[in-house]
Amino acid sequence: MTEAQLVEDLLAFIAAGEADEEAFNRMALAVFAHQFETNAPYRRFATQRARTLRTVKSWRDVPAVPISAFKDLTLSGRPPEECPHVFMTSGTTKGVRGKSHHPTLAVYDRSMTVNFRRRFMANPYGGNFERLRMGILFPTEQAMPNSSLAHYLALAKSEFGTADSRYLITDAGLDVDGAIEALSRAETTGEPYALLGASFSVVHLMDALAERGRSFVLPAGSRILDTGGFKGQSREMAAEEFYSRLSATFGVPRRLCINMYGMTELSTQFYDDGNETCPSVKSGPHWIRSRVINPLTGQEVPRGSVGVLVHHDLAHFNCASAILTEDAGVEVEGGFQLLGRADGADAKGCSMAVEDFLKAARAP
Amino acid sequence: MERAGHLPGLSADAVGWRTLTFRRGAETLDVAVPVLAEAQIAELATRVRTNARTYLRSRTVAEIAATIDRAVARLLDRDDPWRQKAERLLPLVTGYDAEMVRLGLTGYLKTFRGPELRKFIAEDFANPAVLDDFQPMPKGGFARAFGPELLLHVWAGNVPGLPLWSLISGLLVKAGTVGKLPSAEPLFAGWFAQILAEIDPELADCIAIVWWKGGDEVAERAWLGRADTVVAYGGNDALEAIRARVPITTRFLPYGHKISFGMVSRSALDAGKAGAVARQAAYDVARYDQQGCYSPQTFFVERGGRVSPRAFAGYLAHELDALGGKFPRRPLSMGEAGSVASWRNAEETKGFADPSRALLGDPAGSWAVAYTDAADGLSPCGLNRTVTVGAVGRLADAVPGLAPYRAFLQTVGIAAAPEELFALAGALGAVGVTRLCALGRMTAPEAGWHHDGRFNLLDLVTMTEIEGSAERAADIFAPYTD
Repeated sequence: MTEAQLVEDLLAFIAAGEADEEAFNRMALAVFAHQFETNAPYRRFATQRARTLRTVKSWRDVPAVPISAFKDLTLSGRPPEECPHVFMTSGTTKGVRGKSHHPTLAVYDRSMTVNFRRRFMANPYGGNFERLRMGILFPTEQAMPNSSLAHYLALAKSEFGTADSRYLITDAGLDVDGAIEALSRAETTGEPYALLGASFSVVHLMDALAERGRSFVLPAGSRILDTGGFKGQSREMAAEEFYSRLSATFGVPRRLCINMYGMTELSTQFYDDGNETCPSVKSGPHWIRSRVINPLTGQEVPRGSVGVLVHHDLAHFNCASAILTEDAGVEVEGGFQLLGRADGADAKGCSMAVEDFLKAARAP
Repeated sequence: MERAGHLPGLSADAVGWRTLTFRRGAETLDVAVPVLAEAQIAELATRVRTNARTYLRSRTVAEIAATIDRAVARLLDRDDPWRQKAERLLPLVTGYDAEMVRLGLTGYLKTFRGPELRKFIAEDFANPAVLDDFQPMPKGGFARAFGPELLLHVWAGNVPGLPLWSLISGLLVKAGTVGKLPSAEPLFAGWFAQILAEIDPELADCIAIVWWKGGDEVAERAWLGRADTVVAYGGNDALEAIRARVPITTRFLPYGHKISFGMVSRSALDAGKAGAVARQAAYDVARYDQQGCYSPQTFFVERGGRVSPRAFAGYLAHELDALGGKFPRRPLSMGEAGSVASWRNAEETKGFADPSRALLGDPAGSWAVAYTDAADGLSPCGLNRTVTVGAVGRLADAVPGLAPYRAFLQTVGIAAAPEELFALAGALGAVGVTRLCALGRMTAPEAGWHHDGRFNLLDLVTMTEIEGSAERAADIFAPYTD
């Protein structure tokens, strides 16, 4: 199958609205075949695990690439120079950035918009909002051309934002005055408002507002989307605190404070249905499926036990559709709960751990 | 429910208790750790200080050592109830294999028997009597060594019994002792104090074993502000936080996390010796699942022997597999499993890009050896029985690459001929390595070991000198003067 044919099939698959096990399987095997044939490092990886076109019978057999591999290997079916879009991770630990190459963003964009409309644009009084006035707490695509999140948010704004939606982060940093103006205007007009951005930017905004003694009661239907989490903090507490603070600062009920979970190494996002309780339940659309495994054995853990998340994202067709994350999670009714990074364990002994060593190595 | 700590003079009902729960499979153990109010901290600090001043100072080092020896003898006696309790509960608390804990305890405790304690003292003091009374000095005059009246130990980590090292060092210099229990193993230090109380209650009144939650600023400041000297263990971030709270006039002795490694010379790599060397290397890796600062994370293996570095990696893998059957690794938390998996995955992926690399491991992930044909310096492993083997042309080639890590280097387990050993020791010492030992002994330092290159006892004391001038001047005022 050619790449063009695969892209067409995927667009149709997304448009189909749902997929049963068999349909998902068929599409997953087609994507795997494409990756196995066009992507030499992935083929080596799969072969090493004795997974070939012959042995992979179900989507569960598709070998999942550890996300760290995106740093060491060029995982792309198309030669990288033929891929106009490259998303890169922020590369915080080793200074090396993981890359996802996209020969086209048609599938990525379709995946994003179909899913976003369903999960973020729902009107609590029935139907969907066509557009909402948005404030974006993240730099633009022009400022961060390799950020998948910048692209995601730009797409949200262009596809679902009203004409007067705007960025609240500029070259000069957080535009607190602009944010206050936008939030006040929403209060006055009574039109629902949407605030979207990186979790830490939202925290910065809340800090800045607190400093000025400002809080808001946004009109009914207003909502907030945050993504990216809170590194280095005690997660459960931080989430609980974060969402109650969000709700108090902007007057948005916690069930309309939605967290998006996405990764540079994927082309599809997960959402929760608000954060009335934390950790919330996250789920994705019909073209992505997740498993929870023991990272050491690769075996699925019993339902309800904590493990590491593996995502099978058919929309990520050029690199590797199955990825092994470093995120701990637990499968629950309707999706999974995200429990933070799986390697954030406190050192038990006095043997130096990788992270400290790297920190030491980076020090002058 | 086990009660942790040792609080002389404070009634258990008067203090708050907090429960730490430990799980291993279906078994759970609740350990109550004391939570003291600020006034109780003050009271306890004063009591320990006063008791140390009046009682410990009046004893000779030999008498104190004899008491410690008796306490250690009880812990070495497998029929003693304390020993039995330690064997029963420590595997549950730390998760380590029971047999490994049993053997480990015996080996470790042997380091603190009477004759060994004399080694501790002799290592640091040419004349041990200097701890008891003023002794003549080579330069003239007299000097006596005084330990701190109140020595605070901030312990960390889950290696059973580890607090004993600094606790005993403190007692040998007659320091009133307050130890903060590590949350990962909050039992052993308190037990030791209680055994001392059964042998010599007055001595045990000079010791308090307490607990506070890491980072509890109020409790930490209260204790840090009352100590004369603070010995603290932990990661650099934790130590930095403590240092920021230690008054400038207080001596602060931090022991940070360290990295250790092994070296195997081609002279150890013939068919007759390589197997045994690999077995000892594997034992160092498996012991306490690499949680100790002395646990090896990398082995540099010299090319040119009968057994190639690549083959040695295979031997090591085989031995780790065998040891896994004998002493299973402790169950890992999901976070630890994640760390091991991400290290392993990264090593495996490097192998796809670079055919001179290989990863050997069992499918269940209970150990792994990453091999590289061209060692690119010291590389930390994923811990919990994961290790890197890197081939080098000459062992000495590995040394320059170590220099950036000077502050973090500790033990080198070495298999080499005598001449090589001394040549390497010079080079390794110069880049910061503080201990060289045989493979198989990396996790069991000998009595009197200069931990991280420092002095166990000497670092704790201050010297009071009577200069010759005072002595001569005193003569004038003697009643017998003419």
